[in-house]
Amino acid sequence: MKAGVRSQKSGARRKVWILNLLNSERMRALRGRLHPALPVEGATQAPINWYRHMDRRDQSNILVQWSINHPWTTIILILFITILFGTQLRNAKTDTDPKNMLPPASKVRVDNDQVETWFSLHKDTIVLGITNRGGIINRESLDRIATITDEILKLKGVAAQDIISLTTSDNLVTDDGSITMRPILSDVPKTRRKDSIDELEILKRSIMSNPLLVDRLISKDMTTTAIYVPLEDGANGREIAGEIMGIVNRIKGGGMERYYLAGDPIARDTFGHDMFLQMALFSPIAGIIMMIALYLMFRNLTMIVANMTVAIISIIWAMGFLIWSGFTVHIMSSMIPVFLMAISTDNIHIFNEFSYRIREVGEKGPAIRETMRAVGRAVILSDLTTAAGFASLAIGPIVPVKVFGLFVAFGTLVVLLMSFTLIPAILSLIDEKRFISAQKINGKEKDKDSLLHRMGDISLAKRGIILIVGLGLLLVSIAGIFQIRVNNNMISWFKPGSDIRVADSVMNDRLGGTSVAYIVAISNKSDMMKQPETLRKLQALEDEIKSAPYVGKTLSIVDLIRHMNLVIHDNDPKFNSIPGSPEIIGQYLFLMGMSSRPRELDTLVDYPFEKANIVVMLKSWDASAIDGVIDKVKVFENRNSNLSFKVMPAGIAYFNKVWNDEVLYGMISGFIASLLLVLALLALDFYSIRWGLIAFIPLIFTIIVIYGSVGWIGKDFDMPISVLSTLSLGLAIDFSIHLIRRFQQRFKETGDLEGSLVWVVGRPGKGIVKNAILFALGFSVMIFSSLTPYITVGVFMGAIMLLSALATLLFLPPIIYLWRRSLL
Amino acid sequence: MEQKNRAYLFISLLLSLTFPSFVFALSSPLPDEIARRSQIALFYPGKDMKARIYMRLLSKDGKERIREMTMLRKNLQEGGEQRYYIYFYQPADVRDTTFMVYKYPKKDDDRWLFIPALNLVKRIAAADKNSSFVGSDFSYEDVSGRDIEDDSFELIKEELLGEADTYVLKAVPKDLRSANYGFKTSWIDKKSFLPIKEEYYDKRGALYKLFTAEEIKEIKNIPTIIKRTMKNLQTGQGTEAVFREIEYNVGLEDEIFTERFLKKPPEKWIK
Repeated sequence: MKAGVRSQKSGARRKVWILNLLNSERMRALRGRLHPALPVEGATQAPINWYRHMDRRDQSNILVQWSINHPWTTIILILFITILFGTQLRNAKTDTDPKNMLPPASKVRVDNDQVETWFSLHKDTIVLGITNRGGIINRESLDRIATITDEILKLKGVAAQDIISLTTSDNLVTDDGSITMRPILSDVPKTRRKDSIDELEILKRSIMSNPLLVDRLISKDMTTTAIYVPLEDGANGREIAGEIMGIVNRIKGGGMERYYLAGDPIARDTFGHDMFLQMALFSPIAGIIMMIALYLMFRNLTMIVANMTVAIISIIWAMGFLIWSGFTVHIMSSMIPVFLMAISTDNIHIFNEFSYRIREVGEKGPAIRETMRAVGRAVILSDLTTAAGFASLAIGPIVPVKVFGLFVAFGTLVVLLMSFTLIPAILSLIDEKRFISAQKINGKEKDKDSLLHRMGDISLAKRGIILIVGLGLLLVSIAGIFQIRVNNNMISWFKPGSDIRVADSVMNDRLGGTSVAYIVAISNKSDMMKQPETLRKLQALEDEIKSAPYVGKTLSIVDLIRHMNLVIHDNDPKFNSIPGSPEIIGQYLFLMGMSSRPRELDTLVDYPFEKANIVVMLKSWDASAIDGVIDKVKVFENRNSNLSFKVMPAGIAYFNKVWNDEVLYGMISGFIASLLLVLALLALDFYSIRWGLIAFIPLIFTIIVIYGSVGWIGKDFDMPISVLSTLSLGLAIDFSIHLIRRFQQRFKETGDLEGSLVWVVGRPGKGIVKNAILFALGFSVMIFSSLTPYITVGVFMGAIMLLSALATLLFLPPIIYLWRRSLL
Repeated sequence: MEQKNRAYLFISLLLSLTFPSFVFALSSPLPDEIARRSQIALFYPGKDMKARIYMRLLSKDGKERIREMTMLRKNLQEGGEQRYYIYFYQPADVRDTTFMVYKYPKKDDDRWLFIPALNLVKRIAAADKNSSFVGSDFSYEDVSGRDIEDDSFELIKEELLGEADTYVLKAVPKDLRSANYGFKTSWIDKKSFLPIKEEYYDKRGALYKLFTAEEIKEIKNIPTIIKRTMKNLQTGQGTEAVFREIEYNVGLEDEIFTERFLKKPPEKWIK
């Protein structure tokens, strides 16, 4: 949607400007400029000859002419191609797994897969939190937990053998000199009330005395437990979460328990699912609002239909081509339609100009040709610049960013093609009489012009103040950029108060944390992890990690061995330590293998005991949480130079940080490349570096102010924002190209610098303002989305529109005035 | 005429439906009887037994852990109480570890473990029978048997599996929480009553564990599984167990199965 808005805006602006231009006498000047061989006078007086001449010289006009002559053939041909692309849409495969933002061969993915194999770990785990304010260890609650676990075991897609809950996970306790290794709740105490109280007390004590369980399976205040449900590869977290909720609803009865579902797969798959839903809901609403606004501006249904058809066609072609090329539709490419919708509003410029032209010429054929001649070049320039800008996102290394950039660029070219084929064809079918009379009604609203004229006056009269204010704003924004906090937290993509956010915060409050990282110690000698010396170092590393903020719980082979040592020695606190000989450790590990779940041991140490895994539970999905852990690992490594093992981070928390960083920085580096390219293209467009720089000002100003305010407001700078900011490419370029072109023409005609500047704000400025309002309005509905990235889209769209329109209308005239000597 | 025809048709239809199952029921033993005889063949052959067992525990990516042990077993009565004594040679750091089980039908086993590095005998209380046997994919029940009364059996069919003519027996735990499996299907050789293949299905009905008797030999006329594997299809892990130096009816003394011999393995039997 975003990209669409951008290009739509710029396209619309261009068209509006061009139309305004053509409408005036300056238009003749423009024609003269574009086709110097033609006498300017002749252009208006003998349009037909003039166009014939043009047709021979300009391929785009051949296209226009052909489309006007064969409107139905054109429309049918385009519809046919659209159907061809459209058939591809059925084959769309959506992929909302952010993992696939990075190629399977990327280091972090290879490392993560490797760690999962070493330690028999599952990629994804859902956490069902169960709380009871009065305490969770009572017969009714435990019964329900047991039943719920039994039911979850029956679900397809869950790794049933590795579910961790009070009824499946082992507890190791000592009792009368014998040791017991069995599921904590192998039997829920069933005895009559009087006895059961005692049994429950014993159970409570045995659970709370096991440091391996506290903060993982039971909260310190005994009000909360959790069932950890690992998923089989390819299972959908949202769907399984739904089934678990179904089980909970069947079993919870009138119990005091509250249930919370958390975990990365739910957030990820819910976001993936809701994203498409919200896209399907808000895109049409945005479209309808824009259609209404368009109608109020032009009072003609055909134009609106044409405008929307171009948007839909460019989306179908681009998405059809994308799917046909074998790409899956993922988080980033799902934004392509929004961007294309915006880019396709370029056509407003054509309609705007046409609405003036037809009143002047009175005949639709010549009016269309004249319109296209006047607006065509600006449309081509701004669309090509926009397309090149997006295509250059492909310079970066991140595949989804490349795909996004290239297909937005392709869609932009489709919009451009439609501007020269479908639009003229549809315009040629218009009922001219009705159209003209409608335009006359519409023509009455002239007051806005005067308002803009006044704005033009002010921008010149108070140019000093305006430029100083602008410069000040720029400096403040640059300072804000240094305040930017880069962070990607998918949980924060949901609104506060949403189930996912609430569940996450409740679980993080009571238990170790929903975000999980692995810190893996890798040696190259078997049985290394049975050596007391190695285990002591591992313990030191674990202690260091525990001191990092947000770390709620850690678990390692050291914890298991120490607990075993304690239990074997009848809970004598002296033995809460690492045993002194590798034989004892080896024999403890052997004994642990006799539990009902030897696989739980496998998650902490690999088969040949070469490698060990420290499981780190984090209370926040913020990048800073995992960064804190990694910092502590570095502190540890610096302190211990002679280590028998290397340390490697892995796990979902680490992975999320890496892919987000890579995509974000890939996006930014691509964006910087785009900006440089656009600057070069603008200089080329105007055959002047100075004019190129001036045309570049609204774009760079908009971006800096947007980034700066993100920094000052304290909003996380994340992947959605970095994608969104590229929208300014399409919008701001459009505005400035139109304004400058119109000014140059006007100035050439009149020779009156100040007058031309005021006029350019008043007339073509009207197109800019229309375009800005259209978009800000259309996308403002997204503020009501339940996903914060879409709210961001809504706010950003408005902000980018407003900023680039204001920057163009307020700053360019004073700057041109100040630089007049070197420019003119 | 017509009515008569119909009656014949009806009777022959009825016969054709009931007859095969009638014959089937006559010629085959009852499912519970097959289960009982299979348990005797697998866990109770001879009065006693001595064997050296080599186990290879294989991880998903082909890494292995080794278990090597000598197992002594003595039956107190056929199908009833048993004593097990296990001495471990490998892994190297557990050498001299010994393990003893008193197995009772319809009652939790008694187990003791000797930890040589601490010179300590520990009783291991009433652990779950589904627990892993020394970290392998075999559970205690796979090694020493599960109470027949805990399952209900059904003879699904009889079929040829390779060269063996087998009963295909389905076992469903009477208390679902008492077993890891939802049900189990066994192919039991009609001659030896040894299971040739067993499929374990989880509580969703998905196959997750597969037992295969890879090699069966007669030792002193007793058909014995020499090599067996248990593969966990959901985790990709597996265990292979090879029995060597198998001897039956060697005359194991009762006193071997005492705490004293846990600390000091009987040299007569353990080399």
